[in-house]
Amino acid sequence: MDKQQPRGSRIASRVHGDPTALDAPAAESAQDRSPERKNRGLGRIIIAVYAVFALSALARSTFQLFTIFHEAPVAITLSMIAAAVYVVATISLARTGVRAWYVAMGAVIVELLGIIVVSVLSYADPQLFPKASVWSHFGQGYGYVPFALPFVGLWWLLTHRPRRGAAS
Amino acid sequence: MIFDGFMIAGTIVCAVSVLLGLWSTARHRFPTDASILSLAAVELFLVVYGIAAGVRQSGGETLVGAAWEFWGYLATAILVVLLAGWWGIGEKSRWSNLVMAAAGFTVFVMLFRMQQVWIGQGIF
Repeated sequence: MDKQQPRGSRIASRVHGDPTALDAPAAESAQDRSPERKNRGLGRIIIAVYAVFALSALARSTFQLFTIFHEAPVAITLSMIAAAVYVVATISLARTGVRAWYVAMGAVIVELLGIIVVSVLSYADPQLFPKASVWSHFGQGYGYVPFALPFVGLWWLLTHRPRRGAAS
Repeated sequence: MIFDGFMIAGTIVCAVSVLLGLWSTARHRFPTDASILSLAAVELFLVVYGIAAGVRQSGGETLVGAAWEFWGYLATAILVVLLAGWWGIGEKSRWSNLVMAAAGFTVFVMLFRMQQVWIGQGIF
């Protein structure tokens, strides 16, 4: 079903990318499940979604910080923290190497705890959240993607974990 | 009403980009011309939309929301498309297409927000 050497891909083949060029399509079975393959294949789209959330959370919370901070200080502060966590997660997921793997793992765990705590808090004490934040109500305002994302990230990291004794 | 001529045109352009991206993800193991060109069309639309917005706003049209929020969204949307193109083509695989499809969807959501900032909440 897959066409190997693409006739319909003149543009991409001209763009200077990485060595996994068109004539050597990246292995999709991910037979090499090391941190070095973490930003390959399906990882590309996971990182892209993280990047979208990093960018939008950062832009939105910065905007709110300078305009309506006094209306919802707790929600906006938590949005700033969420934005920072997304930025760290995006960068460390995109980088290869063992240290980046541990940083990514930390960021994703903080993200998971963050969304659970903030969501429970937003149901328990709605007055704190007159303005919705990324993590309130399990990411309702963003199609619940913020709630699914840490699980996807965790799964991706656990299937691409560093081997014992691997050099960074 | 949010769905004015610009929004309808933008929705069509973004939908074409998403559909071609998804189709390419299912069918091909490389970033297809269809994905790349349709994403380029999204970028072109954003530039035209931005120029038109500049003309209309300097001609005295007022926004419901803050002007810099509108321009912030527009600048971010243009950046999202560029980043998605770079990130999608950086590794040439099946998933390049999905990255570009996701960018098309993201731009649609941001376009919707820009229309809300400009026109207000009523959808039709």
